[in-house]
Amino acid sequence: MTVFWFLIKEGFRGLIRSNYAGAFSIIIIAISLIFIGVGYIAARDTLVMVDHIRAQYDINVFLRQGTDQPVIDQLAERLKGNPAVTEVVYVSSDSAAKLFKQEFGQDIFDILEYNPLPPAFTLRLKPAYRNLPSVEAIARQVNTEDIVDEVKYRKNFLLLLEKYQRLIFASVVTIFSLLTILSVILAGNSIKMTIFSRRDVILTMKHVGATNTFVRAPFLIEGTLEGLVGALLAGLTIWVSFHFLNTYFQTIFQYKALASYRFYGGLAGLGSMIGLIGSMRAIRKFLI
Amino acid sequence: MINFFNVSCTFGKDAGVRDINLSINEGEFVFITGPSGAGKSTILRLIYLELFPEKGKVVIRNFDSAKVRMNEIPYLRRRVGMIFQDFRLLDDRNVYENVALSLYVSHYKTREIRSRVYNILNQVGLGHRIYYRPHELSGGEQQRVAIARALVKEPVVLLADEPTGNLDPRVANDLLSLLIKINQQGTAVIVATHNYALISRVPSARLIQMNEGSISGVT
Repeated sequence: MTVFWFLIKEGFRGLIRSNYAGAFSIIIIAISLIFIGVGYIAARDTLVMVDHIRAQYDINVFLRQGTDQPVIDQLAERLKGNPAVTEVVYVSSDSAAKLFKQEFGQDIFDILEYNPLPPAFTLRLKPAYRNLPSVEAIARQVNTEDIVDEVKYRKNFLLLLEKYQRLIFASVVTIFSLLTILSVILAGNSIKMTIFSRRDVILTMKHVGATNTFVRAPFLIEGTLEGLVGALLAGLTIWVSFHFLNTYFQTIFQYKALASYRFYGGLAGLGSMIGLIGSMRAIRKFLI
Repeated sequence: MINFFNVSCTFGKDAGVRDINLSINEGEFVFITGPSGAGKSTILRLIYLELFPEKGKVVIRNFDSAKVRMNEIPYLRRRVGMIFQDFRLLDDRNVYENVALSLYVSHYKTREIRSRVYNILNQVGLGHRIYYRPHELSGGEQQRVAIARALVKEPVVLLADEPTGNLDPRVANDLLSLLIKINQQGTAVIVATHNYALISRVPSARLIQMNEGSISGVT
């Protein structure tokens, strides 16, 4: 325990002593984490929005005119038994005519003197099946039913959603990785400067018989602390910015930026990791 | 205790040592002398394995330079005390912390560290300067702190590289008296110096004269 506390104390001592180089590392980590954090929130909310749009997605199954109700009911039961389907809404010809009137303000009988609108089912799918291959498979399957006249779904809409979802995901992963690597390198370089300025401590420790692990530990603790302080700054900046945004602009943008405790915890973890890896890279060359 | 077998270790054109054969016993007091660049410091650096021989080998107790692994070197250095002309104290910590560092790296317990540090600082006459920073001390006091740091881990040998180089003659004499006392307590002392006034004060010591990287005489 004596050694443990000694190393912790050395880590804190190093952080306090590191002056400008330490402050530079902290600022670099904080800026990177702000970009990473805000980018994550933006991407997360965009994906939530995409999911929300996707949740509205449905398949329309139009039936042949004049199909007997018991046959329609049997099909409804079969559709409800489909593992991909979460909800089956039946719209009879009469209901369709009423909907037409609601939407267009005119009675279909006044225009055509008969009701051409076929009875139909609207199928809502489970989230896992709201993608093009699943939708196409379900449509094909439903189309094989005798009483089904036509199955309609918005293929282009789905394609577009999937394309944007992939794009957002790829962008987030790329930006996240690049910024993390960049901050590890930049923070590592400034940590290297702080270590260089304290090579006397390293030399003395080695002269009195310190192992490499012993020499390394305070610098790793210091790097982790710098990462943690950087994360604290980034978290504070994001929290204040979101608070400002939500207070003054929420009604204009119709958007509320929210970050959970888990998000701030993640930020702290990532900051510590950046500091730790940065200092691990930096100390290596001084321990030859 | 320390044996050099046909050791050569050169760097640059003239510096280093060539074909050195040398044996130093437990509890011995040895001066290594010679002009600048004669190889005095190289001998010391070879003993604490900061340098490795290009030819031959150095054996310090059971540490053999030809066989030792890098991760074993710290354990050798815990048995070897070192002091330098420039003291090499850490300015960001006080006297106590500078001395205690030697024991922390060897994983001693807090209570033992405290007792040993107080004890050694009293022995070198710095019991009243425990909480001073190195820059608040005189040159002689700083060198005493360095000695305390080297001795607190009870080494088998104390290496001193020009220990009086930055000290005035009176302080240098006091320091030598301290080194003699340490030697009388059983620790071997090896002093690299070109201060002949100092050497003459320890007539019982072995004198190794170096010139251009070779031993030119032993008396």
